[in-house]
Amino acid sequence: MKVQHDIVIVGAGLAGMRAVIAAAEKSKKLSIALISKTYPIRCHSVCAEGGTAAVMREGDSFDLHAWDTVKGSDFLADQDAVEFFVREMPKEILRLDNWGCPWSRTEDGLIAQRAFGGHSFNRTIFAADRTGFHEVHTLYERMLMYPNVIRYDEYFLTSLVIEDGKIKGLTAIELKTGDLILFEAKAVILATGGAGRLYGFTTYSHTVTGDGMAVAYRAGVPLKDMEFFQFHPTGLVPSGILMTEACRGEGGYLRNKDGERFMERYAPEKMELAPRDVVARAMWKEILEGRGIESEHGYYIALDLTHLGEEKINERLPLIRDAAIKFVGIDPVEEPIPVRPVAHYTMGGVHTNANCESPVKGLYAAGEAGCVSIHGANRLGSNSTAECLVFGRAAGEKAAEYVLNADYSHVSNEVYKAEESRIFDEILGKSGDENPYQLKKELNETMDKNLWIFRIEDELKEAVKKIKELKERFNNVEIVDKTKGFNTDLVYTFEVGYMLDLAEVVAIGALNRTESRGAHYRLDYPKRDDENWLKHTLAYYTPDGPRFEYIPVTITKWEPVERKY
Amino acid sequence: MWQKWFSVKGKSLFSIAFSLHRLTGVVLTIYLCMHLAYLTSIRMGKEVFESFIATTVTPQFLIFDILLVLAGIYHGVNGLRLILHEFGLTYESRKSILYVSVAIVLIVWLIASYRMYTFVMGV
Amino acid sequence: MDVEFRIRRFDGEKSYWQTFNIPVKRGMTVLEGLYYIKENLDGSLTFRASCRMAICGSCAVKINGKPRLACETQILEIGNSLEVEPLDNFKVIKDLVTDFEGFFKKHEAVKPYLIRKDDNYEEPVELIQSPKELHAYYDFTLCVKCGACYSVCPAAATRDDYLGPAAITAAYRFNADSRDEGEKIRLALVCGDNGVWRCHFAAECSEVCPKQIDPAKAVQKIRFKSAIETIKSIFR
Repeated sequence: MKVQHDIVIVGAGLAGMRAVIAAAEKSKKLSIALISKTYPIRCHSVCAEGGTAAVMREGDSFDLHAWDTVKGSDFLADQDAVEFFVREMPKEILRLDNWGCPWSRTEDGLIAQRAFGGHSFNRTIFAADRTGFHEVHTLYERMLMYPNVIRYDEYFLTSLVIEDGKIKGLTAIELKTGDLILFEAKAVILATGGAGRLYGFTTYSHTVTGDGMAVAYRAGVPLKDMEFFQFHPTGLVPSGILMTEACRGEGGYLRNKDGERFMERYAPEKMELAPRDVVARAMWKEILEGRGIESEHGYYIALDLTHLGEEKINERLPLIRDAAIKFVGIDPVEEPIPVRPVAHYTMGGVHTNANCESPVKGLYAAGEAGCVSIHGANRLGSNSTAECLVFGRAAGEKAAEYVLNADYSHVSNEVYKAEESRIFDEILGKSGDENPYQLKKELNETMDKNLWIFRIEDELKEAVKKIKELKERFNNVEIVDKTKGFNTDLVYTFEVGYMLDLAEVVAIGALNRTESRGAHYRLDYPKRDDENWLKHTLAYYTPDGPRFEYIPVTITKWEPVERKY
Repeated sequence: MWQKWFSVKGKSLFSIAFSLHRLTGVVLTIYLCMHLAYLTSIRMGKEVFESFIATTVTPQFLIFDILLVLAGIYHGVNGLRLILHEFGLTYESRKSILYVSVAIVLIVWLIASYRMYTFVMGV
Repeated sequence: MDVEFRIRRFDGEKSYWQTFNIPVKRGMTVLEGLYYIKENLDGSLTFRASCRMAICGSCAVKINGKPRLACETQILEIGNSLEVEPLDNFKVIKDLVTDFEGFFKKHEAVKPYLIRKDDNYEEPVELIQSPKELHAYYDFTLCVKCGACYSVCPAAATRDDYLGPAAITAAYRFNADSRDEGEKIRLALVCGDNGVWRCHFAAECSEVCPKQIDPAKAVQKIRFKSAIETIKSIFR
């Protein structure tokens, strides 16, 4: 089957839905399709908890927010994009306010702000500790106002159609029926999120498997800075459920087994509110040096909120309390929460410029799937939801402008036939002796062991070898469920294939980068090396593995200096 | 379909209350039809009417009457409870109100049953 | 410890029960149990899941007769054997996956967004809302649209077009928002033939809501408001 839309947006999270609204506002005539693997409000953005950063009040300034972001990124961020980002952000907050987002308020009825890691002003706007949830619902509900938006819920992206450096459309499986649908489009926006499920111990939803990144990468679009993977300091042990940074923003402490607030040894000034890479490394070091607290699920660090009082926890951190009680049976009002650093954010993504345009004409990427890059080597807390809003809008607007002057170019039937036979004959119909769940498990183990917070050459080489072996074995996978309709087995197998490709890029990229910067820390190269490595990594697909190129970082106002907190 | 009104597996007391309300409603409707039929029989003459009535005021029939009264009282009291809630009041204490209304139903029913028993049996 | 999972399966044509025995540790949730089955015992088992932290609303299923979010239900709290079924009042697509299309359409039908006359996309302004005003509707914003309320609603069981507790709660959430100006429009939408008057206060929705939102309360509040408006209109 074939359908035609001016703009097709893949991924219905914050960035995707913001792009939809931006494009729909631009022109009522455009036909806009939103494709998503789940229903829009089931996206991973709902898991964002802490807040969204924006300069709103006296005493704060755009330059200060930009500087915090650049310093947090360990100077790998493109500063022109960062400056654009901080200037656009306050308006996005107000728009969400006008669209019904239930922001938490001050006593005077103004939008409230709280402290967050790495920010030198209390600029994080929040809606209790369910910020992402409320933002997603607000955008989703707002999106319902536009009649020219057509939603395709529960469609799974399988490939992009790119010819002569220009996007022509994409193919996706309609899960309910199992049919392959060809979408012809003048422009495509990828907003499919990160690649978090590469790791086993992660805050990510089960659905976040880097589909958009992998599909773009296979179609020849370069991926940028994939070796930078953020580890959030506080993931609940053992499930990895996110315990928001707002816990520390509201005054929570991290303690080791001696009850010591160890952060004073690592970041004497900012303490628990240093950027995530710094805190995560400190915690992991405490654990490695034997100062973690022992449990049946391994060593952990205590996140102590007991001194905040029940009232404050109920008002500001209700979800955290609820989750801690339900999932580990601990009430944070009375006992510290067991936490450990956990894989949390993909700084890298599809290579785009500050307008979210990828090297392919008509293909855009926004949110976590794209890499503009404003996060560089390490993202600051509460900048991710902000990024989704600003760059989701930018992508939507740019795409709308582009399609108003573009024509459809038809995709030949052969392309559709070839994709159909690839999926249903080659992948679904194949027999073999491997199972995708086992491969995924081994991939997770490798990533958790060899590409974790502290990396070292030998282990990275081992990881690369292992991933190549897994890719080899993936060719021999057999899918148990041979039916067509709602085949989650097929989807899972696709996702594992995507993740293996991405894991290879992450591992080789990390092996190549012989320095420590932001979230990428090499035990054998513990210093930042601005002379050789102040540059972005670009990975291009080749059948034998990624080919790397490097491009310079844009620096406008802030020259790299030593990064201290 | 309508069977779902009466599926109570895994449900709370409120659903059971709802199912009973529907059930008693149906019973009362049937009773109402019968009642009207009995009354209409007077058009066929006094004897017919009285013979009809005589069949109902017997010890054998008492058990049905008592159950009918239970249905009536339950439907009435539960209906008042629903009206209260549906006016937008007191959901927070809806559990205790449910218990209280069930208690009222039982008390009223026991008293009514006793009085009917003495009337029919003539004690 | 081994726990018996009885799962109601459906392959598009026939429906049947299947039993799996899985090893369970303390802290394991029903969703983890389902994943264990999918990964180790039967890859064709189909269910929806995403966030596994009770915020996305994907994984509502009937566990021992009661709808719950699988991800936040501890297996051992249920016992050493449990029955997992798809939600009632929804058409089953496959195994535990049900068709939510109509459910979301109904949510859409009540215009669940802020309606303001001065809506300005280009130049938004900060609206003032006191914590008290926020509190008046905040609890109702927490709905994750998991469908648990709809699946137990006896009114929805017999009327396909009944809007259902979730959609009406969404309408109430915006009506109660101090920033909103669209109450009249929404009242007209939810007080029709398929709206609030179909509710008979079985209140089961409030009992099963995993977010303790009290949808029954929202329905009655709207109903009361609608009655008042109707009476007013007679004298106007």
